[in-house]
Amino acid sequence: MIQVLAFYLFATLAILSAVLVIMSRNPVHSVLWLILAFFNAAGLMVLAGAEFIAMLLVIVYVGAVAVLFLFVVMMLDIDFAELRAGFVRNFPLGMLIALVLLAELVFGIGAWRAGSIDLAPAGATEAAPMAASNIAAIGQVLYGKYLFLFESAGIILLVAMVGAIVLTHRDRKDTRPQNISKQNRRRPQDATVNMRPEIGEGVQL
Amino acid sequence: MEFAQSLRLILPEEILSIGGLVLLLAAAWLGDKASRAISIASVALLVAAAAVTVPTLSGGAMGPDTQAFLGQFRADAFAAYAKLLIYVSGAAALMIAPRFFEQFRAMRAEYPVLLVFAVLGTGIMVSAGDLMTLYIGLEMNSLAAYVLASFLRVDNRSAEAGLKYFVLGALASGILLYGMSLTYGFTGTTSFAGIHAALTGQLSTGALFGVILVLAGLAFKISAVPFHMWTPDVYEGAPTPVTMFFSTAPKVAAIALTMRVALEAFGNQADAWRQVVVFAALASIVVGALGAIGQSNIKRLLAYSSINNVGFILVGLATATQAGASAMLVYLAIYVMMSIGSFVAVLMLRDAESNQIESIASMAGLSRTRPLLGWCLLVMMLSLAGIPPLFGFWGKLVVFRAAVDADMIALATLAIVGSVISAYYYLMVCKTMFFDEPADQVKGASDWAHWALLLIATLFNSPLGYLLTGWFDNLAGKASAALFLAA
Amino acid sequence: MTQTFVNWGMTYDWAWFVATIAGILLIALPLMLAVAMIIYADRKIWAAMALRRGPNVVGPFGLLQSFADGLKVFLQETIIPSAANKGLFLIAPIITFTVALMAWAVIPFNSGAVLADINVGLLYVLAISSLGVYGVVIAGWASNSKYPFFSAMRAAAQMISYEVSIGFILICVVLWAGSFNLNAIVEAQRGAGLGIVNGFWFNLLLFPMWVMFLISSMAETARAPFDLTEAESELVAGYQTEYSSMSFALYWLGEYANVLLMCALNATLFWGGWLPPLEIEFLYWIPGFVWLCLKILFFFFIFSWVKATVPRYRYDQLMRLGWKVFLPLSLLFVVLVSGWLMFTRYG
Repeated sequence: MIQVLAFYLFATLAILSAVLVIMSRNPVHSVLWLILAFFNAAGLMVLAGAEFIAMLLVIVYVGAVAVLFLFVVMMLDIDFAELRAGFVRNFPLGMLIALVLLAELVFGIGAWRAGSIDLAPAGATEAAPMAASNIAAIGQVLYGKYLFLFESAGIILLVAMVGAIVLTHRDRKDTRPQNISKQNRRRPQDATVNMRPEIGEGVQL
Repeated sequence: MEFAQSLRLILPEEILSIGGLVLLLAAAWLGDKASRAISIASVALLVAAAAVTVPTLSGGAMGPDTQAFLGQFRADAFAAYAKLLIYVSGAAALMIAPRFFEQFRAMRAEYPVLLVFAVLGTGIMVSAGDLMTLYIGLEMNSLAAYVLASFLRVDNRSAEAGLKYFVLGALASGILLYGMSLTYGFTGTTSFAGIHAALTGQLSTGALFGVILVLAGLAFKISAVPFHMWTPDVYEGAPTPVTMFFSTAPKVAAIALTMRVALEAFGNQADAWRQVVVFAALASIVVGALGAIGQSNIKRLLAYSSINNVGFILVGLATATQAGASAMLVYLAIYVMMSIGSFVAVLMLRDAESNQIESIASMAGLSRTRPLLGWCLLVMMLSLAGIPPLFGFWGKLVVFRAAVDADMIALATLAIVGSVISAYYYLMVCKTMFFDEPADQVKGASDWAHWALLLIATLFNSPLGYLLTGWFDNLAGKASAALFLAA
Repeated sequence: MTQTFVNWGMTYDWAWFVATIAGILLIALPLMLAVAMIIYADRKIWAAMALRRGPNVVGPFGLLQSFADGLKVFLQETIIPSAANKGLFLIAPIITFTVALMAWAVIPFNSGAVLADINVGLLYVLAISSLGVYGVVIAGWASNSKYPFFSAMRAAAQMISYEVSIGFILICVVLWAGSFNLNAIVEAQRGAGLGIVNGFWFNLLLFPMWVMFLISSMAETARAPFDLTEAESELVAGYQTEYSSMSFALYWLGEYANVLLMCALNATLFWGGWLPPLEIEFLYWIPGFVWLCLKILFFFFIFSWVKATVPRYRYDQLMRLGWKVFLPLSLLFVVLVSGWLMFTRYG
């Protein structure tokens, strides 16, 4: 009973906030609605028994990606009036595309229900290990069967990171970065000197 | 599955990835001063990887013993053949780069590292035994390639090339992924062997869409018509050593991958994809030949030439026979050497301030001002055109023979007609070099690495290359046998 | 607890519902009381280190100071700047406060005494603590004022930086314990040190991780010396500049609830949680939650001590520490710990 209630709560909120993402006039509000949508999606994942995916969704999308997104959107200087004008102008086109996509979905699912699309049975390759917990099962697959692909994907991310740095990093000669170890090596006797200057003579530094 | 066995099979990839990571650390600590040393180390890595690949090819490895990680990865003779070509082109792109980038003060230690990872990605592509491996390798290569294309940050054209390549490459990846998801939906598996087994008999419309979309995504990567639009712009804008790399290693990998997917995964449905391949082949030959005619920039011309050559290679694929696959592999090897030779020659065209010369008009009278360079370029151009005594002719001949043997005489005839058209612009370049008044612009000296590469490529493409035909036939035969055994 | 309610004649669903509500209240109410007292303790410790007397007027020894402050704040007028984005301005402190309470759901107070005994407990903590930044960022933006905005930017960068290394540190603990469930992690620490010490801190590979975790948790809660987000000499009061009355109080409560949570995590992950410090029979006569509270108090004392003695970091130094020192070190330790376990436990 509670699960059914929770499902409808999460599902309704997810759809509602997704609608508000595109309907709200302020882009910052849009991002915040998007975060709410992610959150409800995570809730649905928990209900589906995929708690690991749910937590990843929150950590990665809500905790990292959306923060950076919010960061950028907050810094933008946007003319809201102009934005709205564009929305009204493109609204029919957007609706048309949405309708086409909807129709395709309906046709596709309809055809499948009618039996004219012969999909392969789900999980035709192997049965999922049911006994282990979520994380254990994913770990088994990622570090066992798909080890090679997993590690290669890591290299892809590394390449992307190196690429981003190569394309944007510029060595500036005019900065004076702090050298912590140099500062730590410095001793009082290197920097100070005791003197007993004669009156009226001044000090030679 | 034996883990140790799998790890032994991916030895070349291990060498490249671990070596690449070490070099990345070296690049980070030592900075750009060490870029020459890191380039040399990278070449050494490629040589080492090639050395452990050679036995796989010469031994003609095939069958279940070559499958690593439950068949996701194949270390058979076919993969080894393609990998050796890739390593050669990668090494060439590393050797010619320092001199080129130093004139812009843009040589950086990341160049060899990114190139090693690009080569690693192409190596994974040709060894793919699973749609996921295919995609991982493709993306690894592509991401490194996007960055390499815009590596010359001071040049706007380079940045533009990188962006164009990135946007269109992302689109191609999307198409490919869409096709892969359809294929998975209708077969229930991502492994090539599983798809091969599942796609028997009458092909359903959805599965057909999957097959076509996968091939379209791959056609982007080999720049076959009608997915060739990015090629001239990217080839022109990217730094010349990178252009040379683009026209060789990723192309070899993508063609080998297309062969693997078409002949192995979709091998039971050759009739479904044959007409697509025939169309792409003929269109590439025609567009490559006609598009090149108006070009005044030698790099754009070579871009169209590569589109044209891809067309001839696809003729071999259209036959869907082992002889056709073998012919494609022979053609690929010759094509790689022709590309290396011609791009190195282009790289050696510098004016008195050692700026790069790219316009064809400035090459006028090259045979008199710089005779050796002129003659080498002549060999390259005539070989690309497929004029008989040169080795390029042999490549075209084996492909056409395979087509005729497969009773595709019309296709072979049309391809030969296209080949005649394309000879026109190659000969125009030769005419400019040999019979026009000297423009006397090409002055700059080149270093020994350029000369060495150019002379090797010239000797390879000269009639002396025919001494290698027996050897090549043997290797290509072993490689294609491995491909067809799995299928 | 659900079973008790079922025995009283409720249907299972209702029993579960009532039990959960009761559990939440059992955690949240004492926590609020603890926050009030811990603010008092913080001020006393700080004062003592500065040779002052601290709050000593309201109630015996000034014990009721926090409640008096609460009453004062409660009676203040709520001021909303006219240029502020009203809805978000009001929601932001609620987010901070709620998030600070939510993570307590998975902290075990005794064997089995935990509100939500889920097998991804630690990931849940990570997920919830990564939400904390929203309260700050939204406040900074919604205030429509420059100092709060700067502060929000700083907060976002700071929290993300330290969350990364905290994640790696937690991975080390998870590897050693073999579970993401916090209760299982506590159990795994039973006799972890030579069979007598309860706690991962007695482990050469995990002790440095604990030190880094302690420092990172100070940065994560934006406590001194990492309180760049409310550095009063640069940013007035940071993101709290425009807040007053209850919305200000919610930030105050949320911040201290977060500090207590981090202390509880330090205790749970590295110092044996509700286990007594040593594996000796008679120490078990003292109930588990008392041990946990003692450990939390100990760590809170360290927090206060640091706040009173260490000068504030400069912003670039803060970033450097996070990205260039902690991240590579924690990554190295992930490799070391997994390598060690591979050879000794699973090899």
